[in-house]
Amino acid sequence: MAVIQEIKVPLLAVNDTSLTVVEMNFINGQKVKPGDNLLVFETSKTTYDLEATVEGFVEFLCDLGSDYEVNDIIVRIHDSPDEITATPIPSQKQHGQVQAGNGIEPTEMKAWEGETIFSAEAMRLMQSHGLAPTAFGGKDFVSKTDVEDLLGIGSKRKAKGSVGKETRGSKRMEVTVDATRVIVEKLSSNKRREIEYLSEVQSTGLTSTINTTVETAGIFTFINPSLQYLKNSLLPVIIYEASRLLEKYPLLNAYATEDGIAIYKDVQVGFAVDMEKGLKVLKVPNSTQLSITEVEQSIMNVSNRYLDETLSLEDLTDISFTITDLSAEGVSFFRPLVNMMNSAILGISAIDERFNRCTLSVTFDHRVTEGKLAAQFLRELKQRIESYQARNYPTLMQDISCSKCGNALKEDLGNIGFVKCITPQGTEGYLCQSCLKGF
Amino acid sequence: MEAIKINHKIIREAIRIRKVEEKFLQLFSEGKLNGTVHTCVGQEFSAIAFAGQLKKKDFIFSNHRCHGHYIAFTGDTRGLLAELLGKGSGTCGGIGSSQHLCNNNFFSNGIQGGIVPVSAGYALGNKLKGNGAIGIVFIGDGTLGEGTLYETMNIISKWEIPLLIVCENNFYAQSTPQQVNLAGDIQDRARAFGIKTYKGDTWDPDVLMEKALEAIDYVRTETKPCFFQVDTFRLNAHSKGDDDRDPALVERYRQKDFLHLFETESPVYYQKYHDAINLEVDTMVDSILREGDMDIMDYYTPQSIESDNNWHPLEPINKRQVELINKFFKEIIELDDRSVFLGEDILSPYGGAFKVTKDLSDLRPARVFSTPISESAITGISNGLALNGFKPFAEIMFGDFITLAFDQIVNHASKFHHMFNKKVSCPVVIRTPMGARRGYGPTHSQTLDKFLVGIDNIKTVALNIFMDPAILYQAVYKEQHPVLVIENKTDYGKKILQHPAKNFIYEANNDAYPVIRIKPARSAATVTLVAYGGMAELVSACLEEIFQHTDLKPELIVPTLISHLPIDLVAASASLTGRLVTIEEGTPYAGIGSELVAAVMEIAEVPIKVKRIAAFPVPIPSVKSLENIVLPDKARIIAELKEFLN
Repeated sequence: MAVIQEIKVPLLAVNDTSLTVVEMNFINGQKVKPGDNLLVFETSKTTYDLEATVEGFVEFLCDLGSDYEVNDIIVRIHDSPDEITATPIPSQKQHGQVQAGNGIEPTEMKAWEGETIFSAEAMRLMQSHGLAPTAFGGKDFVSKTDVEDLLGIGSKRKAKGSVGKETRGSKRMEVTVDATRVIVEKLSSNKRREIEYLSEVQSTGLTSTINTTVETAGIFTFINPSLQYLKNSLLPVIIYEASRLLEKYPLLNAYATEDGIAIYKDVQVGFAVDMEKGLKVLKVPNSTQLSITEVEQSIMNVSNRYLDETLSLEDLTDISFTITDLSAEGVSFFRPLVNMMNSAILGISAIDERFNRCTLSVTFDHRVTEGKLAAQFLRELKQRIESYQARNYPTLMQDISCSKCGNALKEDLGNIGFVKCITPQGTEGYLCQSCLKGF
Repeated sequence: MEAIKINHKIIREAIRIRKVEEKFLQLFSEGKLNGTVHTCVGQEFSAIAFAGQLKKKDFIFSNHRCHGHYIAFTGDTRGLLAELLGKGSGTCGGIGSSQHLCNNNFFSNGIQGGIVPVSAGYALGNKLKGNGAIGIVFIGDGTLGEGTLYETMNIISKWEIPLLIVCENNFYAQSTPQQVNLAGDIQDRARAFGIKTYKGDTWDPDVLMEKALEAIDYVRTETKPCFFQVDTFRLNAHSKGDDDRDPALVERYRQKDFLHLFETESPVYYQKYHDAINLEVDTMVDSILREGDMDIMDYYTPQSIESDNNWHPLEPINKRQVELINKFFKEIIELDDRSVFLGEDILSPYGGAFKVTKDLSDLRPARVFSTPISESAITGISNGLALNGFKPFAEIMFGDFITLAFDQIVNHASKFHHMFNKKVSCPVVIRTPMGARRGYGPTHSQTLDKFLVGIDNIKTVALNIFMDPAILYQAVYKEQHPVLVIENKTDYGKKILQHPAKNFIYEANNDAYPVIRIKPARSAATVTLVAYGGMAELVSACLEEIFQHTDLKPELIVPTLISHLPIDLVAASASLTGRLVTIEEGTPYAGIGSELVAAVMEIAEVPIKVKRIAAFPVPIPSVKSLENIVLPDKARIIAELKEFLN
């Protein structure tokens, strides 16, 4: 009758000093063997499976849905089931046990399926905040405190983990809700974390955004050959160029600490993605050493993992600079928000087809750098990207193709040449003799 | 003067008694006795005539002036000396001393009226056993003032109980001459109940011996009671030094005293016996004085409460509480020859005021006794039966009437085991219904529980409507010491756990007297309520509304053994909720709630807000509207809880 192993909440990432238990796959006293998935944690970025490494009888010291600090003992493996109480013991501190007769007794884990009874005070509070009774399905009794907890108000709320010693500046104001006009939905823990991370830098109010336009006429002529999947997307080339440029601008590859600036030793660019699996920033590792094709490949790989929900922590952590591309959404102009532990973010807007240009925006943390530096970075980046434009290079014969049928000039057998024309879209193009004359 | 016919053995015995008594007086004046003595100098022959002529299987109950009876019956002079000298080797380890002696079938108690019904119960036990044993209870003429004597005489005559009442009439009750306080004739009193009477005196010991034997034989063969008036005179003070009698009067009786006459007429014999006995007694005393007192650990060790913490759910039972109690009684009356039921109106077909004892007298008529309206005697007789090895269940019809039995509970049932140094047990069960809400008014509705808890060596159990009462009665049945069972008038007719509150779990632990816990199905409780007995059902019925109006999620703990409250469980619960509220139907001052709160606060390690809700301290009105305000009802409970929170 001994404890073989005590499993503590792991430190998975610097950001995550508390994790949420979202799945528990055994009940107390059950036998487990190495490899069994005991429980699943949710971090700020992803989920993490806690696997058993020894054989024994499991005892959970946690509740489903509750948060636990790193290094809290969360699971015990015993060599016999005898000492294990029937159900888990909650994590919050008891008020103090009285000697004879322990105050801890097993409670039922099964959800309550009966009626829910509300106190008069609870009803009053619910009405003034527009909470429907259905928000409390599965509860046996709902008191004023329970309503307050749901709304996130009231004096004793458990604070979520914060990063190191940094304090959160934002005070939560009590926002009133008019029951006749709104329905309140509870915040998911993901969203809560997102709000936390973005509040980190933005709450100081010391961020500023500068913008520039990039001429994009003919830009894909030379980019597209390097691309296989993301043709006509600027993202790969921007990641390629920005990574190298950041080596010259270390202050944009850093973040503010309480009394200093932490400058990353290497550039790890991440790009934001939000395709029904939640808003996440995915890393393109070591992009300074990758070619554009390799950058694209990396983007595709990590995006597929995002879609398959097989992302690893590596994909999500230690990102020194973030790029957010909203060009696919047709956004003409926006002000991106700097992520936690970054000092800048680059936003890509959609290409204006009429003017062949798009806007690039850089929001930066004024505690780390200044407008001039950011502007310089942006101008250089713009220039580098614009260098891909077709008109800056001589038109190479092998690159000329018919806008209608796509035949390359060099493959043309007629030896007459192509006619330069204006395409129906109003751009410059070429037509081969066949398309011009018809068959 | 007539020739002395009585034999010398008797005379020696009388001298022995006198010398022991005189030794006690001497030791007292030397400061070696703790307490006082009530010597029977001058009355010795009464002791010898009666106590000395009984058989070993017979018994004696005596009073404060019992030394002579003790020596004559048991011959245990040394034990008596050691007892009064407070030594561990004494008859009762020094615990009982002069007035509380116990040796085999000899009992004495300093409550002179109360011993009479107890002795009647003991004698009744002998009759039920059919062992041909009889008993004697010694009273004085002063005892003729106590009502319980007359209750008992009525009963022993009617039920034909083999008890001989010996009234040692020494014409004084402490300091009061008889003519001041005694109306009528002594023997007429017994005759009024149809009891055969005898009369004798200690100045003719041989005549007395003869008559005494006659009386003893009468009681034994006829199995009927008898009353013997023995005129006598105590030559010393009531106890010590409190003698205001005319010295000339006392001197006259001294001259008349038989032993004095013997001393005068046969001085040689007298001296011989006198010296031998003195030597014997002195030797014993010297040896005893070198002995030690009893250790406290042998007498009493504190017990702490340790409640079981394993809970099982409670199930409803589709039977009324009264039926279940009745069923249990029927089972034991059939199975156990020792069980006896006593109470007013308990015979079939009536079966008791609340029908709890229905049909019992049909099953075993010899074991069911329907008594006159004599609560003191009912309880005393039950005590006597219990001492004699029976398991009596005495019913006091209404809890309000238990006041009449209070002496028997506190000064007899409670005390026997300890004051007789654990030589005897009194496993009596006294059951009574408390509770109001039937409009019966101030003297038929009370909850007097608080006067019945915390009495030494007595357990007090309160039934409730959440579990089978047979479970509690099973535990009561096995007890070796007295138990008071508090039933509830309005609970009798209710079925078990018929109306559990919605969203609450009803569970009990595995203690012999289970603690019941009613808690929210899933939520953590935010207030701990404690209620028991009939009040528990009322509180259970308003748990939902308590939550709705006060916003507190209540956990209700219902103890059943209210004389030993589950402090540990209540403290553990209140430590988590931070709030403890007790609700009782009795009045608050020094009530059950007070005890609970005080005991919990002694062991709690965190601050707890406490509140006692109880009846207003005023007699319970009959009119329903007022009754429901004086007693805590739903409206008042919720109102007081809300006030408590603010």
